[in-house]
Amino acid sequence: MESGAGRLVVWRDRCRGCRSCQLACSFRKTGEYNPSGSAIVLERDLATEKTAPMIRALSCDLCGGRPACVEACTYGALTFELLPRIEVRY
Amino acid sequence: MRAGTDKTWFVDLTAGKSWVEESPLDEVAPYLGGSGYGWRLLADRLPARVDPLGPENIVVLNPGVLVGTRTVGASKLTAITKFPTVASADRRFFVGSCTSGGRYFALGLRQAGCDRLVLLGKAPRPVVLAIRDGGVAIEDASHLWGKGIDEVSRHLVKQEGPDAGVLVIGTGGEKLVRNALAIIDRTNSLGRGGLGAVLGSKNVKAIVARGTGGIRVADPARYDALSTELVSRVAAWPRRAHWIKLGLAAGWDTFKHTQNPGMWPKERWDDLYGEAKRMESLRSVIACTSCPLSCRLRWEIPGGQFGGETGLGSPYSKSATSGQLLGIEDDRKMIHLVTQANSLTGIDFYTTTRIIDFLTRMAEEGRIPRRQGDVDLSRGYETVERLFRMTADREGIGDVIADGWYRVEEEFGLDPQDYWYAGVCKGIDFIYDARPSRFHPLMMTFLTRPRPHHGGSHTRTNSRNKTLEEFREQVAHWGLSAETLERIFTAAPYTGKFNVGRYTSHMEDMMQVKNALGICTIYTYQALVFGDDMARLYSAAVGEEVGPGELIRRGERISNVAKVLNVREGFTRLDDRAPDVWFRPMNTPEGTIEMEDYFQTKVLTREDVERMLDDYYDERGWTRELGIPTPEALEGLGLADLIDGSGKTRTETGRQR
Ligand code: SF4
Ligand code: SF4
Repeated sequence: MESGAGRLVVWRDRCRGCRSCQLACSFRKTGEYNPSGSAIVLERDLATEKTAPMIRALSCDLCGGRPACVEACTYGALTFELLPRIEVRY
Repeated sequence: MRAGTDKTWFVDLTAGKSWVEESPLDEVAPYLGGSGYGWRLLADRLPARVDPLGPENIVVLNPGVLVGTRTVGASKLTAITKFPTVASADRRFFVGSCTSGGRYFALGLRQAGCDRLVLLGKAPRPVVLAIRDGGVAIEDASHLWGKGIDEVSRHLVKQEGPDAGVLVIGTGGEKLVRNALAIIDRTNSLGRGGLGAVLGSKNVKAIVARGTGGIRVADPARYDALSTELVSRVAAWPRRAHWIKLGLAAGWDTFKHTQNPGMWPKERWDDLYGEAKRMESLRSVIACTSCPLSCRLRWEIPGGQFGGETGLGSPYSKSATSGQLLGIEDDRKMIHLVTQANSLTGIDFYTTTRIIDFLTRMAEEGRIPRRQGDVDLSRGYETVERLFRMTADREGIGDVIADGWYRVEEEFGLDPQDYWYAGVCKGIDFIYDARPSRFHPLMMTFLTRPRPHHGGSHTRTNSRNKTLEEFREQVAHWGLSAETLERIFTAAPYTGKFNVGRYTSHMEDMMQVKNALGICTIYTYQALVFGDDMARLYSAAVGEEVGPGELIRRGERISNVAKVLNVREGFTRLDDRAPDVWFRPMNTPEGTIEMEDYFQTKVLTREDVERMLDDYYDERGWTRELGIPTPEALEGLGLADLIDGSGKTRTETGRQR
């Protein structure tokens, strides 16, 4: 996912399923904690109970460049990479 | 309780009806909400002396007040009920609480708008309770009865969607095995000592919970800033990297000293069950809701008879201790038994393996016949596996094991006090032994809590090699007066360097706070979150300024309500008795271990423990003779209505037993 400012990177293998990203996202948007109201769906594999966040592109606005989900994830499963504003190509 | 409301959902299983009662906040707040108010509801509704497996028993499931908010480890659900473990020779039963985390279930309840779920009566046939936005559906579960926990859990999640939380009982709970527990979200166990059997007696196979509602707090900006501060504090913990790599597989170096049954040389135990062995089967570590310290595990048995079998939960400590007790060298076999318990039968691994250890050794020594029906009680894995299965099915001698320690005494004339590891009190075997562990406050609370299990009460004192200053530092955040701290940290000839009796009473009140709020005990265990932090969180969440002193005072009120319920059942100080085995030296290949205080200043005698019990009751303002609340103590806590009309405390019913 990309914006003018940066890109949200999902590290699927690092996710532990704590749901903090969903709670932080909904809180930033609505002032309530509500996974169902967040831009993140948590995939769940029933064979292993492995989870991974899936960002709904249409609902996510990258929080204007300071993603709440990235700040909330303590497992490094979501990071935000700033994109250079000027890129020189050859 | 969320900002502004507290809603209890009632389900009358007999009548097939459900309804919601909203409680005024000024009635809820003195008990903090969550399990605190759940205890109060039970005190008002549960008649004394009912059969725990009869329809009159009540189950109260309480997600913590902070569950569903983004803060450190707010994932806990606490269940309160009358447990079916036979707790005395004259068949009394305690009313107890148990607590567990999870990722979906407690959060699902709260998102559906259910702050507390109360189960009354008994369903005429097996049911699943489906908690969804706006209501409970009571659905037929005939097709799920007789099926294992994991199969049913997966089925229900598939049916309800990936965000659905599940609480499921196994085949052992259906058969009313008295130690059976329930499993939440496949990864967390809840209620050894028989919550699973109580649900089985009510024909409740499972509860599934999901909702789409949001969780509001009174002061969102303040609350979120506090949470961010606490999460950052935990994220910066120097040992975090190690902890999140191993979860509950961590800590072998401490464990091998504190929970050693003393039968094998330590190096042998290291080789067979140590950290390297754990790493062979550990596959992943899973977090509960909002927890920056994940601890739940997924394993896969590497090779052998059970190669490729996978499981969820935490298998290592249990299998290592029982493996040594039973003399089973192949850890994979013990992990297989944990898998069976967690994913199929739901019987309690600790109690079942220890009774099997007791019976097989007694048979070996010729104290009971080796032949029992068509079972040969010879020591060895095949016998253990068979008895494990027979217990879950209540078949043959398994029926005796399923009824617990007092039934073993009745059938075989074997005194549970003769069991050689950890000890038995109120019909429950302790998970740790006070000799290798030493007599720290968790050991004391095994005696004084209604249900002899830790129940989420850990503090700094449960870790090895800490200093008295660290203990003092933690307690200093609990909002206790200078005089109280002085009493706790003044040594007496019978205590060692601090007074475990006095400390334990406040530790239990702190546990009531954590359980009501839903904050996992790992944060006080590792001294990462303190009483005053929880007071700030609670204040911001509910919109009432509550300092740490008032917070723990409310915890004390909850402890007193819990005690009154148990005094009604006839429990007194006589039941809070330290097991005999603590006072017998444990002979290990490395030498003899006697029960010492935490700092190893002295060997403790029964007289010493009795004097610390005196101090525990004194600290609570309860009578020393019987260890029951006085009318003055209850009045002081605003619980005068628990004193009956004749001017006696209801507690005195205990005396008339
Ligand atoms: S992405 Fe991070 S915050 Fe979200 S559930 Fe996974 S581990 Fe938790
Ligand atoms: S960047 Fe913001 S909007 Fe997008 S998923 Fe993360 S928290 Fe939600």
